[in-house]
Amino acid sequence: MKWEITHRTSYAYAAPVRDSFNEARLQPFSDECQTVDHFLLKVLPAARLRHHHDFYSNVVHHFEITEPHSTLLVESQLRVNVKPRPPLTPDATPWALARIGEAAREPRVFEFLQESRFVELSPEVWRLALDVTDGIRDTWQAALELMKFVHSTVKYESFSTNVHTHARDVLRHKRGVCQDFAHVLLSLCRTLKIPALYVSGYLATESASATHAWVEVLIPGVGWRPIDPTHNRQPDETYVKIAVGRDYSDVAPVSGTYKGTTERKMEVNVTIERLND
Amino acid sequence: MSERANSTHRGKTNLMFQSQSQSTPEAADAVKKTAPQSASLLTGYQRSADAFDEFLGEKDTVRPHYAKLFGALEEFSTAELRRRSDTCERLVHEQGITYNIYGDPRGMERPWQLDPIPFVIEPEEWCDLEAGLIQRATLLNRILTDCYGAQELIRSRWLSPAMVFGQPDFLRPCHGIRPPNDVFLNFYAADLARSPDGRWWVISDRTQIPTGAGYALANRLVTSRILPEPFRDNNVQRLAGFFRDAQKSLALLSPRGADNARVVMLTPGPHNETYFEQAYLARYLGYMLVEGQDLTVRDNCVWLKTLSGLDRVDVILRRVDDDFCDPLELRNDSILGVPGLVEAVRAGNVVIANALGCGLVQSPAFMSFLPGLCKHLLGEELKLPSVATWWCGQKTAREYVLEHLDRFVVKPAFRTHLRLPDPSKPLSETDCAELKRRIAFNPDLFVAQERIALSTAPSWEKNALVAKPIGLRVFLAATETGYTVMPGGLTRVAPDMGGRFISMQSDSSSKDTWISSETRKAEVSLLSSVGQNVELRRTGNNLPSRLADNFFWLGRYSERADATARLLRGSLRLFNPERSTGAQTLLAPLLQTLETQGQLPGISKKTELRQNAEAFEAELLAAIFDQSRPGSLRQTADHLQRLAMLVRDRTSNDMWRVLSQLNDRLATPMVSLVMLSGDAVGVLNQTLMGLAAFHGLARENMTRAQAWRFLDMGLRLERGVYLCTLLDATLHSPDTENPSVLEAVLEVVDSSITFRSRYNLLATVPAVFDLVLLDDKNPRSVLFQIHQLAKHFEKLPQEREDAPGSGKNLLAKCSKRLNQTDPRELAKPRESWADSELSATIKETLRALPEISNAIAANYFAHASISRTGRGSDT
Repeated sequence: MKWEITHRTSYAYAAPVRDSFNEARLQPFSDECQTVDHFLLKVLPAARLRHHHDFYSNVVHHFEITEPHSTLLVESQLRVNVKPRPPLTPDATPWALARIGEAAREPRVFEFLQESRFVELSPEVWRLALDVTDGIRDTWQAALELMKFVHSTVKYESFSTNVHTHARDVLRHKRGVCQDFAHVLLSLCRTLKIPALYVSGYLATESASATHAWVEVLIPGVGWRPIDPTHNRQPDETYVKIAVGRDYSDVAPVSGTYKGTTERKMEVNVTIERLND
Repeated sequence: MSERANSTHRGKTNLMFQSQSQSTPEAADAVKKTAPQSASLLTGYQRSADAFDEFLGEKDTVRPHYAKLFGALEEFSTAELRRRSDTCERLVHEQGITYNIYGDPRGMERPWQLDPIPFVIEPEEWCDLEAGLIQRATLLNRILTDCYGAQELIRSRWLSPAMVFGQPDFLRPCHGIRPPNDVFLNFYAADLARSPDGRWWVISDRTQIPTGAGYALANRLVTSRILPEPFRDNNVQRLAGFFRDAQKSLALLSPRGADNARVVMLTPGPHNETYFEQAYLARYLGYMLVEGQDLTVRDNCVWLKTLSGLDRVDVILRRVDDDFCDPLELRNDSILGVPGLVEAVRAGNVVIANALGCGLVQSPAFMSFLPGLCKHLLGEELKLPSVATWWCGQKTAREYVLEHLDRFVVKPAFRTHLRLPDPSKPLSETDCAELKRRIAFNPDLFVAQERIALSTAPSWEKNALVAKPIGLRVFLAATETGYTVMPGGLTRVAPDMGGRFISMQSDSSSKDTWISSETRKAEVSLLSSVGQNVELRRTGNNLPSRLADNFFWLGRYSERADATARLLRGSLRLFNPERSTGAQTLLAPLLQTLETQGQLPGISKKTELRQNAEAFEAELLAAIFDQSRPGSLRQTADHLQRLAMLVRDRTSNDMWRVLSQLNDRLATPMVSLVMLSGDAVGVLNQTLMGLAAFHGLARENMTRAQAWRFLDMGLRLERGVYLCTLLDATLHSPDTENPSVLEAVLEVVDSSITFRSRYNLLATVPAVFDLVLLDDKNPRSVLFQIHQLAKHFEKLPQEREDAPGSGKNLLAKCSKRLNQTDPRELAKPRESWADSELSATIKETLRALPEISNAIAANYFAHASISRTGRGSDT
């Protein structure tokens, strides 16, 4: 399925600011599941863009605006072709949960099993994960069960949390947005030693198109499989993947520092249109 | 694989330290036998039978490499040795060698402890150590190269992923960045200790920021001056060559070529524990000492913000922890770093030494893997062993540790905030169980290390030599041809015989370290430079705006101290308990000025106090000596010294010394309870002499560049404020025309002699005000200060257009108003001086001066704070 996406982030500052240094993680991956046919990043005030690949192979763009400015616009335009792998059937049992420890043999898997900025591996979370998966013997089944649990336990509520909300607090208050759903699921999976990473991306639905977040878990012998706790389903061709990391802090779409007032307004606008194949 | 690495350390558990009290009777006998050799010097020298002694060998004879030094010490009388020890202490104090202790109630600036007796190492032994250290530095650098590059060691399981990815010191944004020639570790330091069997062990590796080389150098400069004869006779190897090599290597890192490369030293600021060393080394190596806010990134290059624009920076010698270096890509709560720095490094436009990410191999967890890695990477046996270390992240090591926990010191494996039991005390049963539980729950975070009994060496204590445990920190620098070792080091001395742990944060001392050379080496100086084509520079206009700020306030406080001292001296002299009112009328303008400026708050309302001679005197003394009293002279002197420290790398040693003595002088009298006003006048006289010396040094020894200019502007501004306050107070005093009152004013502003030479009559208001307000030939007149300020403004870079006020315009207005005041007008008799035109002029000037100060700050010292850009929210 082909998509044309425009992602616009604009900042308006109460007074001119300067020395703004920023990173943008907005250019999606090209891999076996999706190909990016076109990508354009626009920054206003105009700035020279440089890019490199970060530790998780995400594309990171850098730009600096040193002159005083009162607004900042970061806009990406892209065309992407999504061809997801066929979903694993909900009743598949590819890898015994008892043998999940073997997944950690792959060196780069290590950090998707650890605590991270927004993800805690406490004894309480571990207890909870054990209870939820009680009686389940398969890794994939455990992951699906945990996803179902997060979906049914956490209530979706816009603006109930912010970008700095920790999974611990989401579990306590039982409400949040997609980012929080993902963080809670990461905690649960990782305490059971199921490698799990955070995915940022876009979701095109009938009602609304917006940025979205979900999780990928590693099923040995099968590979990394995406699951979406916000909607309790496996992502399909309506999901466009931008970046991956340990949690949100590794994939923030735009982040940076500047000198000047902290008073500002931010607006995010995403439009997604389906193109004919 | 790594299980193998650990096993090599098994069975070597005889290094357990036993303190003096536990020693056997035989050992006690051995102690007694040391006495006869030299009754005076060695009577107190009690070596422990359970530790290696550096000084006495078999049968308690002096080891040959110590013979020359000991011979020389024996020749000195005890009195002579004591004198040299005192000199040692004085030199340390005068040079201002300090070490900041975090959370110390004494605050910043703890004096450095230097033991006058150096530690001597045998040259052959040193050669072996050198070879081992060079191998170790090379090895650690290879490990870093791999971890930040191909990560073959992890893939082939030489290293566990937990040791790299599980560490906060592995900086993900720096993965893939290759420093020039793959040198990550430009500098490396190691802490060494010698076990009872005479072998040297590495206790810890310092790769993040290897500190201490500057202290070693400072120790050397002092010790070589107090023991010049043995220093010469021992042919002690010089340290300068090491620093020259390091300097040369840093210049070669410059992406724009070594000629005229700009190297700066990045400091976290004066609160850092080793700030002294940073300022000291920066000056010694000729680098500018900068804070993060002095630097900026433009077009992916790093620049120094100076008053006259941006200066490109090529190499940064880093004293800020790497994760604090860039709030954009590393820790975003850091205010010490430079946003965009990592990207500039990635682009190859600037080089940082040590490379970002070097803290990784400082983890003690690596120690247990080094023997295997050395064979794997270098094809050699590890020459210099590490203290036996077990990383609990490995199953067999963990089991071994849990079984023998009482034998080990348990430490955090990585840089984390783990609370661990005090290693110097035995573990209680509950502590032990708790520790075991924690290790079992999160084993990766812990290492266990064997305890080593430190060797002992002679130290000077209570007029004799005593044996004290020592550890040695050694330093290496990467050069074009590999690593080079500083021939010497920083020897650290534990406070007592039981000492096993030496940290400069606790009460330990230090020593110079001597290595004799067979032949006398040619002396080297740091002044030889790398390139031949040195651009001639005369401007000195590259002053960072933060330093300009500090110089300005240094000027202001030095004058504030001067004015306060003069006013208080004048008050004490005039104050006469014999008179019924204690000369209160004569004092009025002085007291009013001191009140307005904050030294004697509310004095005009405290009638009772003023009438009680003793209480009043006590109040004056408190305004001089009371450190806790805001605005006291003592406090001003404190501020002055603190500011001097902030510009330490930009001022001469003499200036530092003068200010430090000033502070000492004001601090001493607090010891004695009875303070006579006569003594106080003496102290004030000395204070004024000290300040005169400071101002003289500034005038005669500083180039007329921006640093001096801002210092002088601060001084002029402050003097203007005090003069106007005093003149204003005089006009408002009940007895303005009283010649004695005017005499007192002239005395305070140091213009009595001029006045008498001009007028040969009693002081009158017009004559005094002409001299002190309007005479621009009098360096203590208001107009003189205004004119000097205007001259400085002419030489400064353009003021900013967007700044809220222009200092230049304000000054011009002030100057105009004062120039329009006709001195002859002053002679006309007035009803009340307080309501006169003259008073209005002074008041206006007094209002304008702080505005000028604010304008200077807004135009030249603006440092806006940093905010984070918001991040997009999801769905």
